[in-house]
Amino acid sequence: MLMMSRRQGETILIGDDVEIVIAHIGRTRVKVGIRAPRETTVIAREVKLVRDENVAAAGMAKEENTPHLLKFLRGGPMR
Amino acid sequence: MPLFETRNFGSISFEPETALEFPRGLPAFENCRQFLALTLPEREPLVFLQSLEDSGLCFITVPVQVVDRDYKLRMAPEDLELIGLPTGAPPRIGDQVLCLAVLSMREDGPTANLLAPIVVNLRSRHAVQAVAPESSYSHQYPLMPAEAAHQGAEPCACAV
Repeated sequence: MLMMSRRQGETILIGDDVEIVIAHIGRTRVKVGIRAPRETTVIAREVKLVRDENVAAAGMAKEENTPHLLKFLRGGPMR
Repeated sequence: MPLFETRNFGSISFEPETALEFPRGLPAFENCRQFLALTLPEREPLVFLQSLEDSGLCFITVPVQVVDRDYKLRMAPEDLELIGLPTGAPPRIGDQVLCLAVLSMREDGPTANLLAPIVVNLRSRHAVQAVAPESSYSHQYPLMPAEAAHQGAEPCACAV
């Protein structure tokens, strides 16, 4: 992975049309400005993980899967 | 009472005021804003989140404490504001909010998304899938078979 040191207000260019500005450096977080073409998706990595996970979860949410799932939950099905 | 046709549960009738409102939808399903939280006695402790806009869209969830009794809910201030909660302190599970983990099935067993629980403001019924900032929780936390799991835990008492 390429590592670069930048100060607040400095910019990084990626390719011809993506620009990243280090807008503010706080104690524990940095605020980053991103200029990119409209068709380029820009999301936090954890949001991408959650998107993919939601798609997978929606695909398996079928009634016939629930007996198997219940075996994994404490107490199992209440009878 | 309105009736709604679902893939999993056939035709269901519901009180409109019991619907949950997700002002931002859910990641990957941003246009789905209205859901019902359904519980079935023989399927406890599962909570089914059924979309009211897409009859085929349903998530199987479970109160987060069923998966991790000591779960620490942390939410970004924007998420707290979105569902009408004060931003000063993390909300109290069971009392102020219902906190649900979305379940998935993988080849090596089911997993729970503890990174991004669904948080419902119990008073306003506004809800958000809260991607925890700086969280060490996994989006694919493996569930263990019940026999091997911790014994003696109470089933959750905060279902909708």
